[in-house]
Amino acid sequence: MSFAATPRQRRIRLTLRYAVAAIVTVLFLFPVYWLFAISFKTPDEIFAVPPVWVPGELRLDNYLALFKEGDAATIWNSLVIAGTSSALAMALGTFCAYSLARFNTGGENLAMWIISQRMMPPIVIVFPVFLAFVYAGMVDTFHGLILLYTAFNLPYVIWMMRGYIADIPLELEESALVDGCTRWQTFWKVVFPMARSGLMATAVFTFVFAWNDFIFALILTRTEVITFPVQLTHYMGGQSQFWSKISAMSVLGTLPVFIAVTLLQRYLVRGISLGAVKG
Amino acid sequence: MVRRRKVLSAGSLALFAPSLTLAQSRNAAETAVAAAKKFSGTEISIVWEAGLQSLDPLKYSGPKWEKLTGIKVKVVEVPTDQMFTKIMQDFRSNAGAYDALNVIPSWMPDLVKAGALEPLDALVDRHGYREELNDIAPAYRDNQMKVDNRIYGFPDDGDVMLLYYRKDIFEDPKMKEGFKAKYGYELAPPKDWKQFSEIGSFITEKMAPKTYGAGFFRAAPYPQYMYQERFRMEGGQFFNADTMKATVNSDVGVRVLRQMLSDNKFMPPGVEQWNFVDNLANFLQGTTAMTISWPPYGRWAAGYGTNEEAMKWVPKTQVSGKVGYALNPLGRPELGVGFALSVASTSKKKEAAYLFIQWLNSKQTSLERVQLPYTLRDPFRTSHYASAEYRKLWPDAGAYLDTIKASGERGLLDLSLLQQDKYDEAMSKALSSLWAGTDPKTVADSLAAAFDAITEKVGVARQKDAYVAWARKPGAYPGK
Amino acid sequence: MTTATSLSHRLSLFSDRHFKYLMVAPAIFILLLIGVFPLVYSFVVSFQNLTMSDANTSFQGLLNYRQLFKDTRLWWALAHTALITAIALPLELVFGFLLAQLFLERMPGRQVYVALLVLPTILSPIVAGATWRLMFDVRFGPVGQIVGFLAGSPVNLLWTVNPNLVYPAILICEVWQWTPFMFLLLLAALSNVDASQLEAAELDGASYGRVLRQIIIPAIKPVIAIAVLIRGLDLFRVFDIIWALTQGGPGTMTETISLYTYVIGFVQFDTSYTAAVAFLVVLLLTVVVTWVLRRMELVR
Repeated sequence: MSFAATPRQRRIRLTLRYAVAAIVTVLFLFPVYWLFAISFKTPDEIFAVPPVWVPGELRLDNYLALFKEGDAATIWNSLVIAGTSSALAMALGTFCAYSLARFNTGGENLAMWIISQRMMPPIVIVFPVFLAFVYAGMVDTFHGLILLYTAFNLPYVIWMMRGYIADIPLELEESALVDGCTRWQTFWKVVFPMARSGLMATAVFTFVFAWNDFIFALILTRTEVITFPVQLTHYMGGQSQFWSKISAMSVLGTLPVFIAVTLLQRYLVRGISLGAVKG
Repeated sequence: MVRRRKVLSAGSLALFAPSLTLAQSRNAAETAVAAAKKFSGTEISIVWEAGLQSLDPLKYSGPKWEKLTGIKVKVVEVPTDQMFTKIMQDFRSNAGAYDALNVIPSWMPDLVKAGALEPLDALVDRHGYREELNDIAPAYRDNQMKVDNRIYGFPDDGDVMLLYYRKDIFEDPKMKEGFKAKYGYELAPPKDWKQFSEIGSFITEKMAPKTYGAGFFRAAPYPQYMYQERFRMEGGQFFNADTMKATVNSDVGVRVLRQMLSDNKFMPPGVEQWNFVDNLANFLQGTTAMTISWPPYGRWAAGYGTNEEAMKWVPKTQVSGKVGYALNPLGRPELGVGFALSVASTSKKKEAAYLFIQWLNSKQTSLERVQLPYTLRDPFRTSHYASAEYRKLWPDAGAYLDTIKASGERGLLDLSLLQQDKYDEAMSKALSSLWAGTDPKTVADSLAAAFDAITEKVGVARQKDAYVAWARKPGAYPGK
Repeated sequence: MTTATSLSHRLSLFSDRHFKYLMVAPAIFILLLIGVFPLVYSFVVSFQNLTMSDANTSFQGLLNYRQLFKDTRLWWALAHTALITAIALPLELVFGFLLAQLFLERMPGRQVYVALLVLPTILSPIVAGATWRLMFDVRFGPVGQIVGFLAGSPVNLLWTVNPNLVYPAILICEVWQWTPFMFLLLLAALSNVDASQLEAAELDGASYGRVLRQIIIPAIKPVIAIAVLIRGLDLFRVFDIIWALTQGGPGTMTETISLYTYVIGFVQFDTSYTAAVAFLVVLLLTVVVTWVLRRMELVR
């Protein structure tokens, strides 16, 4: 936002923003850095007094060990499960959100019912879900978890996208309809592109919620489908703590989303130079 | 029975006599293997504590069993916190997915009452395991195997608390002189808690901040075992056996809490936050001169096995060769936790599962397993303590085994009532408020109130029966 | 000709009329599939007396619900949860908004910054809790070092034990992890604000404060409302961080409702009572959420 600023003022503001951005990033990233550093430390460095800020060596053994011992496969499991369920949740949820936002389908009650799904403490639902899964033979399967996480995330997607869609001016859709588009075409041609930033923001966290879920993954799997968070807790015993593995695994685990967010940045933030009137 | 069989076979089946005599001289491990071969090609699952513990079945015993019998072992790793839950949920849902189980003995009454564990007596007799079961050290054999006089699990871990101390500091002439001058008795592993405080303060005074007198894990959930031990050894009783009212807030109770809190003063700053691994790291680095913990500390402090890939997470020991082993102050250490091998009652492969646990627990196999460098299973059989092989593992291994043996013999049982986890939780929470600065009397009173509330919910009469039965055992209260 | 137009006309009317139902159908179907049974099961079970030792499924009436009122530990847990939510939520919202403002305008390397800032939220809460626990450690962690450096002398801060520090510790960890959530959401929403309106206000010489109040906030209100709702509900269920840092301690000082239900449901296996507690929570949350939504709708 430039308010009557001269180029010089703008440059100062930019430098200032840079400085603040750098400080803020350092603050937020310090724990992440600490975890990252642990993945290179020896146990003596991890438990050193005073604490070691920079590991002595950049050892990749911990990472290699994860691949060698097959632990890294759980990242793949989680990718498949979280990815598929997120895609499904985003698609079905956005359709639903559009209907709610534009037509107020089901009114208050439907919307409230949907969000109430997120109110139930997961601990309580896990056992009945487990019972149902046992009955349906879905314990320890990929499709079981995918179905579960899709249902899990739908309320989030529906409500978030409802908000973002509500932001889109109605005129655009109305003009498209007048032009002869069906509702379905209007959705894809007008709403979808306009909601891209909202879609991306929602998608990131939909994925993260499915990716990081622990309690359902723990109870609903045994040996065939070990997901990333469950594998992590295997490193935290009552009488052992495999910090090297915890940290290396965590770093590996952040990569998929990190890469995705970096690549899809441009959909997230539309430049202010873009006007509201689009073709 | 055996003699009769021998006569019969010798008389009527002369041809088979040689192989039968061979069968009788087979040990339990071999018997199990032989009997299990008929299940070759199948798969059994076993629930095991995730982390270091499950390396045993994953890398050693599972593959070995498969090679011997053709039965594949699927290890279901579960974080300690969730083990009970997953076992119960599997049972309640009738999923029948687990065949063999690792259970903590204090869960056994509750699991048995719920019907989740398979009684093993018939199988034990069928496969002739009674003899080797007797070899298990009495502390575990008599207390972690049966419920209502029926066998439900095989004790598989010699968990007991030991006092580890820095021999080099205790034998240092300057330290000995100074201590004797100040307190009037020889510097030696403390015989009681007063000595413990005095020795601890003295060492901290002389050697901090490089080394402090002692350190303990103070963070939940383990300190409650140390509390159980000290409370009873100082004369406390958990309940009044007639009224079933909790007496943890008696004068003794308050005093013990107060003293435990004041001990923190000579321990390194931040000790209130220490968990098992923090305490280990500090001891191995030489920061603490005394600590109390389970047997693994002894192995790791000596550097045994820490070169293994799997043990890379343990900080390098700086105190190898400098560690002495002793009984806890007042001489009766808490047994603390432990593990037993059981069979799930909903398993569809009970016999195969049973044979696997018999083989794991047998004299032969268990001796191999407790010597694995990455094991968390501590020696638990009389034959383990006497094993010449084990004694050679590191210079002080003999003293180590002797101390474990003595500790086991004098061990105190963990409190084990109906819904014990609720009482455990209450004790854990009480201790955490103690470290946080709540007045010891208040803590003791709240604990007693919590105990009483739980007893009421369970049913005073039922709990009284359970308590009386437990209190009757030789390891329940000292002086029995 | 007339038949043709009326046919296509009728078809488009049909798909239009049913369009809104067709759009919601798949989502509702899945929600019902997964959501109905657990809800019904929990409801039924809450009227029974299923415990660790008792699989008896006979009807017990309001046994568990009556117990709810006597259970002080439950109400304290709710209070602790409300406290954490009431402090963390505004902090996350404000910090998130400020961050979004900071990165809204173009600047070189912004992509990297934004991607980096999302990292705390991506980390597993279990690992985040464990890492902060290590960082807070008096001897092994840098936090004590830094504070000591700033204070000029070594400090002995027991973040996970000292009653005065446990809540700050939890809040620091929680706000740290979830501010990026608000940040990203608000960034997306702010970038959608009608640029032409902003330019017009600028030309009119409006102050930043006025622009904020009268153009920006109303424009992003739907997203703020929902972000607050979602984050609020999630805060109510916060578990992993607290478990890793304090396990609900000291005593039960930081025990939130999710830790409590974990203890009674998972550790002590009081299945029926846990179900009753769950319904109480849902009831309370529904009341709060309805009230909040009504207010937001009215003000909008």
